[in-house]
Amino acid sequence: MAMADTRRPVIQVKDLYKVYRVGDTRVRALNGVDFEIYKGEFCSIVGTSGSGKSTLLNMLAGLEKPTKGEIVIAGEHIEKKNENQLVRFRREHIGFIFQSFNLMATMTALENVALPLTFQGVQKERRLKKAGELLDLVGLKKYKKHRPTQMSGGQQQRVGVARALVVNPEIIFADEPTGNLDSNTSEEVMRLMQKVVREQNQTLVMVTHDNHLASFADRIFHIMDGKIVQIEDNRAHRSGDNREMSDGGRI
Amino acid sequence: MRILDLLRMSLGSLLKRKFRTVLTVLGVMIGTASIVVMISLGLGINRAQMENIERFGGLTTIEVWEGRKTNTRTSGVSAVSVIGSASSSSSSSASRDNVMRLDDEVVETLKEIPYVENAYPLLRFDAIAKYGIYEGDLSLVGIPQEGLAQQHIEIGEGHLPESSDELEFFYGNEVALNFYNPKTYEYPYWSTGEAVVDPYKDTLFIIFDREAYINSQHDGKVLPPKKYIIKTAGVEKANEEGRWSTNGYQVFCNLDALVTTLKRIFRNKVIPGQPSTSGGKPYKKIYYSTINVNVDDVEHVMEVQEQIKALGYEASSNIEWIESTRQEMANTQAMLGGIGAVSLLVAAIGITNTMMMSIYERTKEIGVMKVLGCDMRNIQALFLIEAAYIGFLGGVAGLGLSYAISSVVNRVLAAGGESTVTSYIPLWLAGAALIFAVIIGMVAGFFPSRRAMKLSPLAAIRNE
Repeated sequence: MAMADTRRPVIQVKDLYKVYRVGDTRVRALNGVDFEIYKGEFCSIVGTSGSGKSTLLNMLAGLEKPTKGEIVIAGEHIEKKNENQLVRFRREHIGFIFQSFNLMATMTALENVALPLTFQGVQKERRLKKAGELLDLVGLKKYKKHRPTQMSGGQQQRVGVARALVVNPEIIFADEPTGNLDSNTSEEVMRLMQKVVREQNQTLVMVTHDNHLASFADRIFHIMDGKIVQIEDNRAHRSGDNREMSDGGRI
Repeated sequence: MRILDLLRMSLGSLLKRKFRTVLTVLGVMIGTASIVVMISLGLGINRAQMENIERFGGLTTIEVWEGRKTNTRTSGVSAVSVIGSASSSSSSSASRDNVMRLDDEVVETLKEIPYVENAYPLLRFDAIAKYGIYEGDLSLVGIPQEGLAQQHIEIGEGHLPESSDELEFFYGNEVALNFYNPKTYEYPYWSTGEAVVDPYKDTLFIIFDREAYINSQHDGKVLPPKKYIIKTAGVEKANEEGRWSTNGYQVFCNLDALVTTLKRIFRNKVIPGQPSTSGGKPYKKIYYSTINVNVDDVEHVMEVQEQIKALGYEASSNIEWIESTRQEMANTQAMLGGIGAVSLLVAAIGITNTMMMSIYERTKEIGVMKVLGCDMRNIQALFLIEAAYIGFLGGVAGLGLSYAISSVVNRVLAAGGESTVTSYIPLWLAGAALIFAVIIGMVAGFFPSRRAMKLSPLAAIRNE
């Protein structure tokens, strides 16, 4: 805890609840969640289907409203924003990696990466230059003019990673980023994300149901029945990793 | 987002679904074309009528006839109140039989009325022309020199009558066609298609005293009246196919020369058509058939006409029937435009439908855009612009179609000899149609675009 205080939390989640009404019964998708994620961390949220992990991610990204509780990202309260403000917040502070890549079919890889900058109103030359740099970073130098249909799943997800990075976000969310990929390609993409977090000092939160993939992260949040049951610090186990260790969450 | 990026992205998604786009554009095209063609027909008919009216002497000319004194007091009073000099002229020109006749004084009076630019008298006189066994009726119109210039006469050969001393005739282009054989009542032109006489080359014998001539024909004992040879100044240009001239049946001549000649021929007798004293004697002066009054502006025609009527004369102008035609035209055009509007409404529903389908298909794409931070207003703009593109493309295609239809219609009508009724698309109509098509597109796209804006970003996360 002492060390955590010296670092800046990018996300603070306090006492978060989400209750769905299904018929007459009320389902608690999230049942009181608290945690903090710090700058430069790669965190994964692991849980089985129905554990509430996706709901948690949706709420962190401002796609769903919590029933109760606080989410503070980069010092701003997400739960108090209206839809317009949320869109603007995502545009400026958040990168998103999707399970099914969700690239625009009519656009080239370069244009897809530049899309969030287009939404920001960045000039064409500048945004394409930036997008080009990121495609170089994810190892797709030769695929800039390719359309999504002309690329493999792994390559498409690399484009997705580059797109998430292009706005230089405060935090990146990844929703089962390897869910549509085979195991080899999945590992490649995971290593890419690891690399990005380290080299770019990015913060990444990934949701997955796969414990193996979750182990690529620095910290692993195990979620079950809407509650975080365990926070595992992975960095201690890894050799050659000279990052400082954290004592983990508060549970 | 930048406007250029919005335009590019909308165009991109429109081109992605080419077939559907083309079908929707087709709907707008037909709608636009039907409105434009309908209005263009209306405008063409309108313009043709205006041209007709122009040929009838324009909109600023009032024709004045002699009037009958019905309730002298009221009309007299109002006349005095309109113009000061009216009382003297009306009393002098009103004869004992209560007819308000037209003479030079009346011409001067009418010139005094505000907004009147000038006024000139016309004297009509019916004569008979003989050529060999044929004869024809001549409607002589004596006009002063300044009035002749305003008759929109197209000269075929020769020139307009110039001399005010010597009587010269200028023949309308259909006078020669109506020569007939008085024994058989045959009109050679109607059976052979050829005129039997060319007034410009052939010498016609003119009979001014019709009554005496007809009497001599029926009663062999009566001597036929004297025939005259009148110099031909010129003839009117032949009609173009499908056209006709308002001057066709008339023979123009100089007013002064006509009056002098008639006075000489009917010396001490009453000239036919002129009033006589109670003793059957002719008046010294000549009374005119009509007076044409030219008003400076169309806006003042009604006002001047009312004033002339208040003086006790009959007056009419093209303005009167232009008002009723205008109303009629507006009705026709509204009806024709309505037919077009219905088809454009159908096209608009087509746009809405296409946009709705497109939005359902692209629910996920819209969700992704929202997750990536595309502004809600930008999303709405993207779809509005897409709909506007459909309207624009349909408008452009529709205008092309309209011009094509218009030229076909014109050709067909011209072939049918109805060259006066044409479909006519002015630039403003083309521009308005284009803007209208774009607006229709945007109105049709408004509801779908709002729907797109309100779609949940969660759709992006869902994995099917």
